[in-house]
Amino acid sequence: MGRPGAVIEVDRNTPPVMFHFGEGVRLEKLPLGSRIVYPPDPLEPIAHPERAVKRALAKPLEDDPLKSLLRRGMKLTIAFDDLSLPLPPMAAPDVRQLVMEQVIDMAAEAGGEDIHLIAALGLHRRMTADEVRHIVGDRIFATFWPDRLYQHDGEDPEANVYIGKTSQGEEVTLHKRAAESDLVIYVNLTLVPMDGGHKSMATGLASFRSIRAHHNAKTLLASRSYMNPPDSALHHSCARQGQLIEDTVRVFHIETTVNNHAFPAIANFMQKRETDWTPQDQAMFLAMKQMTDIAPPAFKRNVFHAMRAPYGMTAVNAGQVDAVHEKTLEAVRNQIAVTVEGQTDIVTLGVPYLGPYNVNAPMNPILVACMGLGYLFNFYRGKPVLRKGGVLVLTHPCRYEFDSVQHPSYIDYYDEVLADTTDPIEIEKKYELRFAEDPWFRQLYRKSHAYHGIHPHYAWIWAAHAMDHAGDIIIVGGERDVVHRLGFKCATTLEDAFEMAEQTVGRHPSVTHLRMPPIMLCDVE
Amino acid sequence: MPWYSGDGGLLKLTGAVGSVVTDVSRVRRGWRWSSPRPHTWPERGAVVPAPATDLGWARVEPVRTIRFLLQRGLLMPFTEVMAHPKVEGRELINELERPVIFAANHSSHADTSLVLHALPDRARERTVVAAAADYWFKRPLLGNVVSLFLNTFPFSRTGGAQGQLHSSSMLLKSGWNLVLFPEGSRSPDGRIQEFNPGVGHLANEAGTPVVPVHIRGAHRIMPKGQKLPLPGAARVRIGKPMTREPKEGSREFTARIEKAVRALSKDAPQPDLQGSWIERWNASKPRDLPYD
Repeated sequence: MGRPGAVIEVDRNTPPVMFHFGEGVRLEKLPLGSRIVYPPDPLEPIAHPERAVKRALAKPLEDDPLKSLLRRGMKLTIAFDDLSLPLPPMAAPDVRQLVMEQVIDMAAEAGGEDIHLIAALGLHRRMTADEVRHIVGDRIFATFWPDRLYQHDGEDPEANVYIGKTSQGEEVTLHKRAAESDLVIYVNLTLVPMDGGHKSMATGLASFRSIRAHHNAKTLLASRSYMNPPDSALHHSCARQGQLIEDTVRVFHIETTVNNHAFPAIANFMQKRETDWTPQDQAMFLAMKQMTDIAPPAFKRNVFHAMRAPYGMTAVNAGQVDAVHEKTLEAVRNQIAVTVEGQTDIVTLGVPYLGPYNVNAPMNPILVACMGLGYLFNFYRGKPVLRKGGVLVLTHPCRYEFDSVQHPSYIDYYDEVLADTTDPIEIEKKYELRFAEDPWFRQLYRKSHAYHGIHPHYAWIWAAHAMDHAGDIIIVGGERDVVHRLGFKCATTLEDAFEMAEQTVGRHPSVTHLRMPPIMLCDVE
Repeated sequence: MPWYSGDGGLLKLTGAVGSVVTDVSRVRRGWRWSSPRPHTWPERGAVVPAPATDLGWARVEPVRTIRFLLQRGLLMPFTEVMAHPKVEGRELINELERPVIFAANHSSHADTSLVLHALPDRARERTVVAAAADYWFKRPLLGNVVSLFLNTFPFSRTGGAQGQLHSSSMLLKSGWNLVLFPEGSRSPDGRIQEFNPGVGHLANEAGTPVVPVHIRGAHRIMPKGQKLPLPGAARVRIGKPMTREPKEGSREFTARIEKAVRALSKDAPQPDLQGSWIERWNASKPRDLPYD
């Protein structure tokens, strides 16, 4: 049994704490009396994941066993999450592969000839063949790619159908093949409470028309936070769309969860609390620090992005979407929940090299904001760790660095839109349709490996709640021009950032450092 | 004193080293160390070319043992970590009875390490690498260090030095395998360039078989112009040893070798399995499921 998460108060004997710093690390001394919140240790994974999958499919929650749903002559579609999950990508075999292989075994036994597998990537980028192969495994890839195993295209007018409006007027579209299927089996991997449930189908197999119903500044500002579905307007909207999808097509949902063993042995020190660092961990830290200090960015990126996480499966549930998702959220919370007492004036966060939208690419400034303010800040339940009007301090080099293949629209968004305004609501009014309907970005999304034209806007509004909540946002170590373009303040050292923060929160502020990743969910009392 | 106090120990040493590097780099920029220094008169060129050295010292004991240790302790693990090379066709050269020429495509400095990594221990220990005389041996120190690690010897790529071709042929005759990159220089874009006829000529003269080798992925690890290697996957595919046909000229043999290397670069088409996906799926079922 791993240790639960912990809140440690910094005293004279507390070692300095590691901060993620993009493709690098920093070691910082926090002021005496500060708190450091550590995630729980990884839970023990299921010893025989294949048996657990078999059991889940045979005894689903509020649904019939999968075997009884499969029959000869049926039209079967299996949809699965794309490479934005988990992070870092999982060491083979991916749990989705384990699940899909068993589902396909059953389909083969039943004699269902008409089967398609669709990567539900929503408005994310198309994956390369190797990336798809990594998720589904060699056997599935060799059997189905590319005719029966392919990726969703939210901009293909032939491949998407409009299926109706929810009670709140949200339009819903769905991949045509899924809409016409006798059964859709969705294979999901839930890493954080935001994922899974109705959101899987409502975003993964949808088009811009459907996704814009909840991916907008108004909805996201009303989500407190998106990591806690009961308090998230985003999830309420997805649930309404999901209900409509369930009314249209028969859905069998399979959700898996993994522990938070996010770093391989070579980066074990990132997984551990600093108080637990052995001499080997200290040596590894020093080696990595020196390497990341001197190595060119391209080299560092290759090293970091080559890391595969040794995640272990902690739960697998199948059946009706809501029933399954409830169990999944319980399993996720068991792994990542930490109780934190009270809010604080300053929260510090190290932004790592990787977020959901920059697998095998640099983290551009918009994605830094998305990761730090959108994801890491929102890992709370109840209320944020940061008090309203407090100061959020992030560490990241925040360079003007974009991947022109994956993020072409991000470049325009940064250069044109953020130069005009950083207000998410104003941007939405002025620029949403221009980016969403740009024919060149649409072409790159469909034929290249680019994120959809509207995606930078989604990444930006993901940070809207944090920008609204925080009195000041300071990025330590960032490039000054870039940080100012984002509308934040820039500091060279953490000490400088604390000095600057005093102007907002007064002398002797309370400080809390959230030592993520590995991820955690703060239950703030 | 705890390691993290910041008042001593490893952190201080590391900080000191870091600051030295910073200072040196600052001075280097300030005084422009990298720009060429003016010469008051041109350097004196060699009127008569110096006699070609074949670096015989690198092929005798104890240098061979030192190289063996260096390769096993440093070079091979480093190659393994950086490239995870996948080797295909090693069984074709496990039992070589006589010396051979390994003719490989060339797109990166990493090619030599990858070829050596792909060879069985016995063959590697008896292998010399032809290195461009005008590149690696322009600076004697660099040439000797590289030779210590990789067992290189200078090979003229201008095609005019009969003497050097002769020394290569002597090496082959005295029992050494030879790694040769018949393209002459690294491909700028990773594609295979035309082979120079020297390889066919050498094989004819020494009467040795030629083993075609194709390296894929090295271009991504260290393309032309790249100073530091980047991690990336590589594959080394070794073909069947080829011998010269009777009455086959050097150029024809070279063309045949080039064709063989190009053929190795192509992936074999997937066997066209007949039937529905269900039959293909069942046919690809692993023999023993680990959890049964």
